[in-house]
Amino acid sequence: MKSRRDFLKTGLALGATLSIATRKNIFAAEAPASGEAAPAPVTASAAARPVLVAVRDGSRTAMLDQALAALGGIGTFVKKGQTVLVKPNIGWDAPPERGANTHPELVGHLVKLCLDAGAKSVSIFDNTCDQWQRTYGNSGIERAARDAGAIVVNGKDESLYREVEIPGGVKLKQAKVHGLVLDSDVFFNVPVLKHHSGSLMTAGMKNLMGVIWDRGAYHRADLHQTIADFLTFKKPTLTVLDAYHPMFRNGPRGVSVEDVVEKRMLFASTDIVALDAAAARLLGHQPSDVRHVKIADEMKLGTMDLNQVEIRRFNLT
Amino acid sequence: MNRRLKLLRVGVALAIFAGLTAALADFRGAIPPRVGHWLASAQFVPSLVALIAGTAFGIVALVILLVTLAAGRVYCSAICPLGILQDVIARVSSWWPGRKQPRQRYAPPSTWIRQAVLWVTVAGVVAGWGGLALAAFDPYSNFGRITSGLLRPVLTLANNAVVGPANAAGLTALYRVEPHWASLWVLHLPILLLIVLVVLVVWRGRLYCNTLCPLGTLLGMFARKAAFRLEIDKNACTKCAACMRICKAQCIELRSGAIDFSRCVTCYDCIGACDNGGIRYRWTWRRRKPVTSPAKSEGIVGASLLATPPKAPPAPRHAWGTELVERASRLQQRNESGLAGIPPATPVPSGDVPDPARRAFIAGAATALAVSIAGSARLQAGPQAHDRDAEEPGRDRRAGPYTRTICPPGSGGIDRFLDRCTACQLCVSACPTHVLQPTWAGYGLAGIMKPRMDYSIAFCNFECRICGEVCPTGAITLLALAEKQVTQIGEAHFDEKKCIVIVKSTDCAACSEHCPTKAVYTVPYGDNLRLPKVNPVLCIGCGGCQYACPALPEKAITVASRNLHGRAERPVEQKVAPPASAGDFPF
Repeated sequence: MKSRRDFLKTGLALGATLSIATRKNIFAAEAPASGEAAPAPVTASAAARPVLVAVRDGSRTAMLDQALAALGGIGTFVKKGQTVLVKPNIGWDAPPERGANTHPELVGHLVKLCLDAGAKSVSIFDNTCDQWQRTYGNSGIERAARDAGAIVVNGKDESLYREVEIPGGVKLKQAKVHGLVLDSDVFFNVPVLKHHSGSLMTAGMKNLMGVIWDRGAYHRADLHQTIADFLTFKKPTLTVLDAYHPMFRNGPRGVSVEDVVEKRMLFASTDIVALDAAAARLLGHQPSDVRHVKIADEMKLGTMDLNQVEIRRFNLT
Repeated sequence: MNRRLKLLRVGVALAIFAGLTAALADFRGAIPPRVGHWLASAQFVPSLVALIAGTAFGIVALVILLVTLAAGRVYCSAICPLGILQDVIARVSSWWPGRKQPRQRYAPPSTWIRQAVLWVTVAGVVAGWGGLALAAFDPYSNFGRITSGLLRPVLTLANNAVVGPANAAGLTALYRVEPHWASLWVLHLPILLLIVLVVLVVWRGRLYCNTLCPLGTLLGMFARKAAFRLEIDKNACTKCAACMRICKAQCIELRSGAIDFSRCVTCYDCIGACDNGGIRYRWTWRRRKPVTSPAKSEGIVGASLLATPPKAPPAPRHAWGTELVERASRLQQRNESGLAGIPPATPVPSGDVPDPARRAFIAGAATALAVSIAGSARLQAGPQAHDRDAEEPGRDRRAGPYTRTICPPGSGGIDRFLDRCTACQLCVSACPTHVLQPTWAGYGLAGIMKPRMDYSIAFCNFECRICGEVCPTGAITLLALAEKQVTQIGEAHFDEKKCIVIVKSTDCAACSEHCPTKAVYTVPYGDNLRLPKVNPVLCIGCGGCQYACPALPEKAITVASRNLHGRAERPVEQKVAPPASAGDFPF
């Protein structure tokens, strides 16, 4: 049941979406016609073209609001009483401005939206590369998530991971996956866009390596293939890519703030492969250059052909 | 006032003990580094090492000596965690079902053992083995090894046992922590010491402090001459023996009414035990008219510590002397004739020669300290020991510029580190990544239980310098973060024959991924692959690459120690130029 407040909120959000979308059409040549109507639910039918929302030139929170509104609102994904997992990239002991991790503001805002939408609980974790308490702390994510009401979970606790079979995997046949991925009703993947010295790029798909226990196994078994294989087991409900200031060099850890360039963008899609394809373009690559994107496309886990994707563009300036 | 001393002692002792135990047994980084640093810096041996190295807190060692000279071995009961631990053991063992309250009786001092241990330690320091001698015998460091090596993993396991139920009950502040046991090789030393302590404590109180601890012996030399000493008021004493029975140092000789203050650990238990208020602190310097013991002579009074005791008439000097008391008590045991039967000046028939022994004991106090300092001159190299060491390459005890054992950033190099580290394990406990682990034979004999970087467990966090923050001796200097980030403790060596990129023709680069300076970078290779390369100029040896390398059975990239730490170039960065994109979005 919707309260009056919820109703008003939805109404306002929808109104804002429509007005901005309409205005946007003037500038964007490729803008979809769907901007006029209420956004089509993206999870409705498999036959429909995948939708990618690309927003730019707003604050992180405004861009997220816009992206969700364009996808039908947070209520499309989160129902009352559901458990939600928000999986940011919390890889490195680096402050937000270095762009090595998802920005805490974005994470915090998404947590808040989930709880406002009636989520029973919102949990957060990552299997960090640097020491986890320091990384959670210095990335600013622990604080932002806690303040927004999330449960911050230790990603370095092996007992929380469970061994699963991955029948569809080519190289990845089994893996120890974090229980939150297996048990949560809703799985938001919230990566940050970075150059990567090994996999060329890290965005949506690569971020999912943080939900398995043994990263070394991925590296030994063929990094790109295993990254793609995981999608045969589990796809996130929605992937929201933080491309506010992507890391163009020295990734994925980065050396200094000189490695990031402000782009002020945010992409969101239920098709993680399409999202990664767009991300690759932003870093200056062809989607097929990024091997795991190409493999995932070939395995029909999504599409990297952006011509097959309905792209909804928004400029918030 | 005298009776409140015990309360004060217990209060201070518990505070220091709790703080140090918490810092050393801390398994989840809950205790701020400065707490451990301050408390450890208030310990004698770390402070002595720091004093010689010229670190700020070094003055504490002198203060402790002065306090001992003023009021006895306050350190041993109120500050030394190993001493307090013995009191805790005594208290806990008294709760054992059926065990009676411990009752002590006077025991003569084990002068030769005490002297031997002290002089072996001093000789070790003089011989350039100070790093071993101080580490092995420092009571604080021994406490650290017990607490960090044994208690911390046990607490970790206990924590992990309750995490599940606690989390289920909504207590999310608890989380599992990977317990890191040191190897049994490493742990047998603290285990052995703990067993010895328990046995000695239950058997004979503070026997450890009065035989095996060289610091106890050293401080005893000062305490013997203390300005304020605990003394028995002859007029009040009824010889009820309550004080003797409660004395854990076994230093109250009742028949003669003497307290061997060189062994007294100033626990003040005897003050409260005496119903008549017969034991009190008394000023003993420049006491022209002895209050209770007319036999006290001016020969002792006012004697300078550093000077040989003046030749005083033997009779009064020895009336209350420990040696005589000892002899007397031995005689008493043989023959109940008692002290009164022995004329004070009678030459002793036994082999003990009291006068020279005593002189040696006193002279030892001065020389032990002086020699320790002189012998430790090698410690005086400042934090930037690099240059001096570079000028004397022959000083390096280890062959070749690289070894496998890597010492932490801020320690300057293996030689300097081993000289100053007392293996107290404070950094091992505080290290957030647990890359610092005690080694057994990694550094050789002088380095037993001293911390090394263990890249099989973790790697050094680039933004962290907690080991330098906690280290009480200056063995690990607290470098500025920017300085730490260019300090080369080792150098990565890449063996591409073992690399997954070459062996399997797939992408990997886990090493480069983890490299904080991008000393490990990748170059295009084969069909859209990226192959790691190492730029040694940028490599600081943090071990990220080695830790991350997934190659089996052997890592393709490993870090070798720089026995003398170096300085890496700082990566100079221009703003990255992003690929030009036309329009709103590049798609």
